[in-house]
Amino acid sequence: MSPVIVILSVISAVLALTMLFTRNAITSAICLLGVLIMTAGIYGLIGEHLIATIQLVVYAGAIMVLFIFSIMLLNLNTEERDYKDHPGAFAGAVALGLGVFGFLAYALTEHFRSHRGDVVPGPFTSEYVASLGGNSKVLAHSLFTQYYVSFEVISLALLIAVVAAVVLAKRKFD
Amino acid sequence: MTNDVLLQILAAFLFCTGMLVVLLRRDTIMILMGIELLLNAANLSLVAFSKSAGMIEGQLQVFFVITIAAAESAVGLSILVNLYRNFGSIKTQSATTLKG
Repeated sequence: MSPVIVILSVISAVLALTMLFTRNAITSAICLLGVLIMTAGIYGLIGEHLIATIQLVVYAGAIMVLFIFSIMLLNLNTEERDYKDHPGAFAGAVALGLGVFGFLAYALTEHFRSHRGDVVPGPFTSEYVASLGGNSKVLAHSLFTQYYVSFEVISLALLIAVVAAVVLAKRKFD
Repeated sequence: MTNDVLLQILAAFLFCTGMLVVLLRRDTIMILMGIELLLNAANLSLVAFSKSAGMIEGQLQVFFVITIAAAESAVGLSILVNLYRNFGSIKTQSATTLKG
């Protein structure tokens, strides 16, 4: 267990909790940006360089700029936290979250403890990927041969989303 | 505790935090940010499982999920701008009618 990954995990967990409990929308957006950058760092540290780059460029770059821009555009004030008015609902939601987390953590540790040997490992170990020319080359080759139909469909979906966003957000001219 | 367990537990934690953001906050922009956190947690889980099993399918799925997340946030934020224009607020309780 690499100590740098532990540090990045702890920082991103703290930033996620800050995002949940802070009052200000822009603080939440910056905390989410921090979580995304920490996740990109974790991807880079475990050797997934292409995913780390995409995470930085698309998530931490494009999507968060869009969020911060719309917070600015909508001129959000400090949010009054009206879940304080319903302490029962607040406690119920937090208990649900803790319950789901406890169940997931138990299931994951149990899986890794007892079924570790059942997993048949695939061919793409770190050494094999390095001998094929690196992570980006392997992923790009698979993307443009085995998954090229999905790639084209996803580009079409992105085009439709761009047109839809422009149509939805434009002012109506009479 | 190995790297795999740590990353899976971090992904579970981020998922639960994102779920609580979606459940607790009353701003629609915060709900969209919670959805981004949920997608990020799912991506982390996919990459860590795929890496530990020696596969690359998880990474390719993450590539598609990130693209869909970008499309989703573009459409969601423009819906939000419309919501602000029609109701004057982006709180969930202010949008009580479907007709704009």
